[in-house]
Formats: sequence, C-alpha cells, structure tokens
Amino acid sequence: MDIVVTIILIGGLFFFAGGAIGIIRLPEFYCRLHAAGQLDTMGVLWTMAALALYVLDDFSLGAILTSLKIILIVFFLFITSPTATHAIVDAGVRAGLRPWRKRGAEE
Amino acid sequence: MKAFALIIVILCAGLLIYGTSDFPPWSDPESPASTHVSPYYIEHTIEDTSVPNIVTSVLADYRGFDTMFETIVIFTAGIACFFLLRVTKREDHESRLYHHLVTGVTLRIKEGGKLPDESEEFRRVDTEWVPYSLIIKITCRLIVPFIMLFALYVIAHGHHSPGGGFQGGVIIGAAMILFAISNDLRAAILRLSEKMATFFCSAGVFIYAGTGLLCLLLGLNFLDYGALAKILFTDPVTARSHGILAVEIGVGIAVMGVVVSIYYNLSSAGKHDEGL
Repeated sequence: MDIVVTIILIGGLFFFAGGAIGIIRLPEFYCRLHAAGQLDTMGVLWTMAALALYVLDDFSLGAILTSLKIILIVFFLFITSPTATHAIVDAGVRAGLRPWRKRGAEE
Repeated sequence: MKAFALIIVILCAGLLIYGTSDFPPWSDPESPASTHVSPYYIEHTIEDTSVPNIVTSVLADYRGFDTMFETIVIFTAGIACFFLLRVTKREDHESRLYHHLVTGVTLRIKEGGKLPDESEEFRRVDTEWVPYSLIIKITCRLIVPFIMLFALYVIAHGHHSPGGGFQGGVIIGAAMILFAISNDLRAAILRLSEKMATFFCSAGVFIYAGTGLLCLLLGLNFLDYGALAKILFTDPVTARSHGILAVEIGVGIAVMGVVVSIYYNLSSAGKHDEGL
C-alpha cells in the first residue's frame, strides 16, 4: 500500500513541478495561467488521491470518513480552480492584454 | 545618509540577535511560558469545561474577557469604517443607466431626470458596467451555500476541532463578499441590507456580553458559565461547554456583520449605490 501511495504522490509532484516550471518558463500571461491552472488541478488530484489512500489503511468508519473529506476537497477544487483561472483570464482580456505571438509571425 | 540608515539597521538586527541568546531553549519545560498557567490548562481543561479543544476553552472560558474585548475591537473597526466612508448625503450628480428589457435599449437618464422604478421592464445597470461572465456567476452560486454550511460547521464544531467564532464568521462574510463580487453590489445589498449587517455587528457583541451578564444575574461572576447550569438543567461542567458555544455564536455573528459592512463601504466608496 505504501508503495502505491508513494508512486501516486510522486506522480502528483511531477505535475506540480511541471506547473512551476511552466509559470517560470512560458512567455506570457495566458500561457502561464494555462500551466498554473491545469497542472495544479491535476497535481492536487493525484496528491489528494494518495492521501486518501494513505488514510484508508484500515476500513474503519473514521478512516473512510476522513478519506471522503479529502475527496470532497478535490471535488470543490475541481469546480473552483478552473473558474478562478477563467476569471483571471477574463480580467486579462478585458484589460486589453494581447496574446503572445512569435516574433515575425503575422498579426 | 543611506550608509547611516544601514548602520542603524545592522545595529538593531545585531541587538535583536544578541537578545535571542537569552531565550529559553526550544521546547524547554522550564521556560516561563510553560511553567505557570499552561500546565494547568493542559491538565484541567476536560474536567473544568468538558471541551476537548484546549485552545477554544482558553479563548472563550479561561480568558473570556480578552476575547470579549477582541470582539469589541472588531465591532469598533466596523463602526469606524462606517463613520469614515459612509456618505449620507445623496449626490445625484452622476447620470444613471437603465436597461429596458422589452426593447433591449439602454437609457442614460441625466441628473435631475425622472428615474423609473425598478420593475420587470426596467433594470438598473451600473455606470461602469461590465457584463459578468456566466461561468463565474453560476459557479459562485453553486459554491456559496457550501461555504456557508462549512462556516456553520466551523463555528459549531469549534469545541472539538480547530475552528471557532472568528474563523466561521469570517468564512460566512467571505461567502457574502463572493456573492457580491460575482453578481453586483446591489444584488448583495438586496439580500443582506446595510441595516441588517450593522445590526448583526452589534447583536453579536450583545450575545457575548449578554451571556456574561446572564451568568452575573444567576449568581456567579461575569462570564462564569457554570451559572448557566440552573437554566440549562445540566451539571456546571457541561454548562460551561454550552456557554462557550453561545459565546462563539455571538463572535461569529459579529465578525460576519463587520466583514460584510466593511466590504459594502469600501467597494462603493461609502455610497452603497454602485460598486463592484
């Protein structure tokens, strides 16, 4: 069980690392938000799944309730995190920020 | 001048770092912080108040006066914001926009013009109106009830898990603010009016102080919840637990009212007319 949990945790950390690298390396606002929004949501899913499994070492009522709460966290994050990204992108569009283009590409 | 400032900073930092050498070692059982009252709290909380969460019992029972005046500080902050920002004089200098729903025409009614009533036909539109994204509106509508439910859980479950009145009140206030942001200020004021928010501010403090006064009337000290046993028909220890709950509810209501009323005043520059 511990091995499975570790593997899933490492998978989640992989996504988080990807998100962090994306925020630093990508050229501008929208691309960075893309990396941050998508990869963070996925990373949360994996790490939280690992935690839910880790808590569930015995199938007592308390353990099941705790892992249910963790799954609820994931559920709400899946609703709110993309919405937050959407709101920020919306604000960027309204403020008149143009998407990035490669230098030389036609407008 | 810059070098002089730097020297002062370095001297102060050196002094502070030198001061830390007099601190007791980390987690030293003989340190002053953990010799006088802390062991008493840790050992006697359950038998004194039957509250498993020591933090809550210290906050609301052993140091009830402190928390009461913290609540009053928050109340004062809300009232101060009200007095600083609220504009009572109506200034109808700006023109207003109305949307005629039947024809889809937006009307600008200038200063002094006759304003139509808010009805099925006319809907008021903010002057710097931005069409809110439907996604944000719907998601917030979906999320707000759950946030409020969680806040009630935080308030009611403060005895057993991390939580309490301050945190729960702030969460309810944040839910109201989220609603106000995702729709508009007028929609929020329609649901929780300014009067009601201000009423909640004082009602919370009143509940807290009233609980204390009730204990005084029942023959014990101010905020000595053991006295409530007479009207709750329980033993004094359980009555303390219930008294803490009553006080936490008061704190929650006060904090919620203050947070919401400060938001109303800040976001509309005191006009409560148009805003975020």
